[in-house]
Amino acid sequence: MDLISNLALGFSTATTVTNLFYCFVGVFLGTFIGVLPGVGPLAAVAMLLPVSFYLEPTTALVMLAGVYYGAEYGGSIASILLNIPGTPSSSVTCIDGYPMAQQGRAGVALFATSVASFFGGVFGVIVMVLLAPRLAEFALLFQPAEYFSVMVLGLIAASIVSSSGVLRGLMMVCLGILLGTIGVDVNSGDTRFTGGVPELRDGVSLVVVAMGLFGISEVMVSLRGATKSYAGQNVRGRDIFPTRAEWRRSFLPALRGASIGSFFGTLPGTGQTVASFVGYALEKKVSPNKAQFGSGAIEGVVVPESANNAAAQTAFIPTLTLGIPGSTTMALMLGALMIHGITPGPRLISDHPDLFWGLVVSFLFGNFFLLVLNIPLIGLWVRLLRVPHYYLYPTVIIMICVGVYGISNSLTDVWATLAFGLIGYVLRLFRFEPAPMLIGFVLGPMMEEFFRRAMLLSRGDPMVFLERPGSAALLALGALLLCASALPIKSILRQLLKRA
Amino acid sequence: MMRRQDTISQIGPLIMLAAGLAFAFGAIATLELGSFRRMGSGAFPLMVGGILSLLAAIGLVQNLRAPMETGKADPIAVLGVVGGVASFAFFTPMFGVLPAAAIAVFATGSAIPGFRWPMRLALSLGVAIGVWLIFVRGLGMPFVAVRGL
Repeated sequence: MDLISNLALGFSTATTVTNLFYCFVGVFLGTFIGVLPGVGPLAAVAMLLPVSFYLEPTTALVMLAGVYYGAEYGGSIASILLNIPGTPSSSVTCIDGYPMAQQGRAGVALFATSVASFFGGVFGVIVMVLLAPRLAEFALLFQPAEYFSVMVLGLIAASIVSSSGVLRGLMMVCLGILLGTIGVDVNSGDTRFTGGVPELRDGVSLVVVAMGLFGISEVMVSLRGATKSYAGQNVRGRDIFPTRAEWRRSFLPALRGASIGSFFGTLPGTGQTVASFVGYALEKKVSPNKAQFGSGAIEGVVVPESANNAAAQTAFIPTLTLGIPGSTTMALMLGALMIHGITPGPRLISDHPDLFWGLVVSFLFGNFFLLVLNIPLIGLWVRLLRVPHYYLYPTVIIMICVGVYGISNSLTDVWATLAFGLIGYVLRLFRFEPAPMLIGFVLGPMMEEFFRRAMLLSRGDPMVFLERPGSAALLALGALLLCASALPIKSILRQLLKRA
Repeated sequence: MMRRQDTISQIGPLIMLAAGLAFAFGAIATLELGSFRRMGSGAFPLMVGGILSLLAAIGLVQNLRAPMETGKADPIAVLGVVGGVASFAFFTPMFGVLPAAAIAVFATGSAIPGFRWPMRLALSLGVAIGVWLIFVRGLGMPFVAVRGL
């Protein structure tokens, strides 16, 4: 009964005209931005973060979530038509999607992608509805030591996915935590590391860091690299429907992909990319059509898409119920919540049921919008890929500048964004990825708070983190992850994929 | 003999080492460290700064044994973006957001090869109109759109 009344509350929140409108806007803009190669969900969410400040918290989250999974879907369009993955998680879709396009079946591949994404998304939402409240109830047993340890685990998970190695990932996490200490310390009232700059008393703004690290530095990297016009294949309306045999071949792979995606989405640090890789590798092993994989098998498009969209939904479970973002995009979502004065964690569901259940139900509408929006608009996305990129990057720069300036009409923030852009660019040159830094920046202040509280409660005994079984188990898991990261996981996955 | 490229690759871990030490020493010098039970405002930054310095030192040693290849900088792209953002920040107080946005687009576009000035001009005007429609009219942001109007 509880579940039904909660879902009813969610429906009443999600179906207001404002929320439906912003859900649609988010999904549309997300797909629009995600279609462009190199601009993924992270950049899309970062760019639209300032706009969300002008909205109610629930509406803001509904829109940003729409941008997020819209961009995830949009990424697969570039994968199929250009063999350039729009997002890392859609790189697997290239393997069979592009050969399908070469065979003149781009429309079928795009249609299958839409339906598989919808299926995976809805599957992920169902898992979220069933699992999130249970996890939140369990997390209510957590004390500061467990919270600190779960954050350590989240940060380790964030650093091991760094492609330049776990050591560099950890360094970036630490740098992010340290940046988060700038400003007034809430416990003592001391001002820390502001260098006498009054604007820094409130700390460095999340938007400034995110826009600088991911927006400005991304444009610096791409500005002169992608000036040619892309010519996609023409897709006509009647060429987009799969055959009856292909429909039959797709159902079980979509189900398997969605199950795998739902599982991996809940694990911090793994997310959609691992989900789509593992889903594809497994399908290649069990499929009766394994010989066709790599040369345009429809299962090769359906599985990664249902897996990554299911993972995109279930990634919200640890973010909303534990306050631990599984990925950098989720860290931005977490930041958006906190900017609106909402503390994510196990109490979020009970304290803000309208926000949580409204968001969950909006996912259903968002996935539906994706389906009805994308099937008729496939031709539009194809044409968008032909627009020369030199129109795009100067426009992105202005979106960032106006967005940052609009938050508090402060040009200091614009200069600070530029500074973070330069820092991000230099760090990228030296193979330091900015993503773990942002997660450290978001989690750092909460982590410090729980660390100090745990030390106070234990009367200054640091052994509290090992003596409490929950905390010790989480730290042991973190240590295990660190040891496992010494193994070349990515090359093992790739070999698995090859062997399968 | 170390290659020049190998020496350059050490800069990354060195930046991290400098940042870690700066925060750690900054915490010791300017903040209260407190006790284990009641930690002061400097204790946590000192701890994390120390960990970062240690990791950076390991990174330095690791990099000496197997130098990581660094990326190639593109100064013109950097100048284009810096020019665009700086133009926006510089001209907004003088002319308002819309003219500053148009100048910034023009400046950033000048770094893109093959993007001729008539096209840049057209994009500048288009973006300024877009900013007005989305941010000023649509979202009602309290900007000075054009100073003096």
